[in-house]
Amino acid sequence: MVRYPGADRNAVDGVSFELHGGELVALLGPSGCGKSTLLRTVNRLVPLDGGRVVVDGRDVTELDAVELRRSIGYVIQAVGLFAHMSVAQNISVVPSLQGWTGAQIAQRVNELLTLVGLQPAAYRNRRPSQLSGGEAQRVGVARAIAARPRALLMDEPFGAVDVLARSALQRELVRIVRELETTTLFVTHDVDEAFRLADRIVVMRAGRVEQVALPLELFDQPATEYVRDLVHAGDDVYRRYFMHARELLRSAIG
Amino acid sequence: MSYFAAHPARVAALAAAHLELVGVALAAALLVAIPLGLWAARRPKVAPWLLGTLGAIYTIPSLALLAALVEWLGLGYTPIFVALVVYAQFMLTRNIVAGINGVDRAQVDAARGLGMSPLQIVLRVEFPQALPVLIGGVRIAAIAMISIATLGGYVGGVGLGVLIFNGLTLHQTQMIVAGSLAACALAIAVDATLRLAEAKARIG
Amino acid sequence: MSISRARALTLIAAMPALARCAFDRSHVRVGSKNFTESFLIAEIYAQALENAGMRVERLFNLGSTQIAMAAMARGNIDCYPEYTGTALIDVLHLPPIADSRTAYDVVARLFAQRYGIVWLRPSPMNDSQALATTREIAAARRLTTLSDVATAAPHLRLATIQEFLARPDGLPGLQARYGGFRFREVRTYDIALKYRALLENKADVASAFTTDGAIESDRLAILRDDRHLWSAYNVAPLLRKATLQARPAIAHVLNGVSPAITDRAARSMNAAVENSAADPADVAAAFLKSLGGRTDRP
Repeated sequence: MVRYPGADRNAVDGVSFELHGGELVALLGPSGCGKSTLLRTVNRLVPLDGGRVVVDGRDVTELDAVELRRSIGYVIQAVGLFAHMSVAQNISVVPSLQGWTGAQIAQRVNELLTLVGLQPAAYRNRRPSQLSGGEAQRVGVARAIAARPRALLMDEPFGAVDVLARSALQRELVRIVRELETTTLFVTHDVDEAFRLADRIVVMRAGRVEQVALPLELFDQPATEYVRDLVHAGDDVYRRYFMHARELLRSAIG
Repeated sequence: MSYFAAHPARVAALAAAHLELVGVALAAALLVAIPLGLWAARRPKVAPWLLGTLGAIYTIPSLALLAALVEWLGLGYTPIFVALVVYAQFMLTRNIVAGINGVDRAQVDAARGLGMSPLQIVLRVEFPQALPVLIGGVRIAAIAMISIATLGGYVGGVGLGVLIFNGLTLHQTQMIVAGSLAACALAIAVDATLRLAEAKARIG
Repeated sequence: MSISRARALTLIAAMPALARCAFDRSHVRVGSKNFTESFLIAEIYAQALENAGMRVERLFNLGSTQIAMAAMARGNIDCYPEYTGTALIDVLHLPPIADSRTAYDVVARLFAQRYGIVWLRPSPMNDSQALATTREIAAARRLTTLSDVATAAPHLRLATIQEFLARPDGLPGLQARYGGFRFREVRTYDIALKYRALLENKADVASAFTTDGAIESDRLAILRDDRHLWSAYNVAPLLRKATLQARPAIAHVLNGVSPAITDRAARSMNAAVENSAADPADVAAAFLKSLGGRTDRP
């Protein structure tokens, strides 16, 4: 439960759900529904007024906040790359805070740049100002997972990226977190994005959870009218088709 | 000009003492202004009040403040040193607050979320990016201080002010001119140097 | 950053200043007032001390007698040159004493008693007050004595310094002793600019001192004090008792120099600085050199 000072209702209330290891879960809802707030309670950027957040069996308030955050990746819409540092230096932030050696860091930077689809030799020494929106967020993701966190928090990560680059990035993200088996919680207001990427979706409205379910369940068995209107809005047919395709793929891969 | 020619060593020595006085006072002023500025930058309600107070102090005529300090601290180096530190506060603190607040909030949020401690955020993210603005403040403060420091000659201090005030007493224009020109030259040199530093901080 | 940390940091910031002050204790601090002669004599004292191997800090240009005395009291300076007449009238508020010896004895005794300040050996130089005018005006208006000026005053403009208007032996003293002396216009100037007013015809009469270098100029004439209003003004080094006790060598050096400063020496030194724009440090050095082996060593 979170309440901001001066607010007339709780920003987040009555939320309870669990993430399973390696899952990619979307927090979906309109602006102001408390999804970003909820996300930020996980790494203690927002303090809890009631309830608990448990990571890896440990209550987050028992852990040192700074250490906790270093063990969880964090990506934001505005990316927030450090303008006075090179791409390599940006990616190195958490490893360097954790005391990795220069050689370890250098190797990791190259690994990560390759992983996010940027050629290391070309990108290592670039400045954030020299990157496109899509490139910047790739670096942002690389930076977030540099120290091999088991969990990743993302707050509308592709909101600032142009539409064309967005779908490429979305695909890449899924590939990356699957490969690394990183438990990922990401916030979005885009229904399609949620359906495309998430294993499970948490639908939120006005600080409360409307439903937590697999995408297909949301579609076929919406718990409330709000959920039904949400998932059926816009490109309804395409969505259904898309999800069937995904289910087929999933069952094929196993 | 002929005073320069006749006594180059003396002018140089006084100029060096002047620069030393301003340099040490600037360093001391920064030791106060940096924590003060950081503290105020985080408190948007307090900052205008603080800067307003410092600004008001800045408008006190320097001679008046110096006279009051002499009453309290006696003559010589100390009152002019304190006066310089006090006057520098306004410009330095203002620029520190502006510099820190000018840093992109998203970068600070990212820094926090990635796991930098508050001190690390200041040292690794906010300060490097606020540095050009800070150096700009130092530059402005230094030039003002070079000028104000000439008043030291009136209260038994050190530096080029001694030349100027001696010149006034002895009504020897050469001395006054020499002292003033040397002070101007110092100010120009300091300005040019710090502009370079400011530019470097921006690119780097 | 809490307030107490900020305070601690300010203290640290003040360290260089504090350190410097502590370091300065080893220096002898010589003060002077803000006119040429005081400057010169103080410079002579300072160089004599330096020649004797001591380190000197100069706090010259102190604005007035009050400031200089306050600086002595506070220990901001250890010594400075003062005049018997000034001490008598401005500090002790006693009537003027024309005889040099008597004036000196009185001030020496009372300063030691009241302020813990010691008067070292005086100079023969007597920088008394005077009124000066241009030779043209003296001729045109037949002015040779102060009595002449007293009656002619309503037609004359006076250029003077602030102190002259306030001190009992200044204008008030003239008016009391001579009567008259109601000037048509009275204006105050900085000490350094007073004679310029006279020479530029902005004033007819100026208050003066008998060792002013400007008097050497052949355009000026001094008016005679026929009723002996004015006090003796011999200069001597004043030294704080505490400093004397701690470092008696200082007195030794200054006593070796002070008796050598005569009226003539004073006037020519003043003239060199004021008329010929010589550097006081050079003038003082030349004077000390001319004394040859006569300055004592500790």
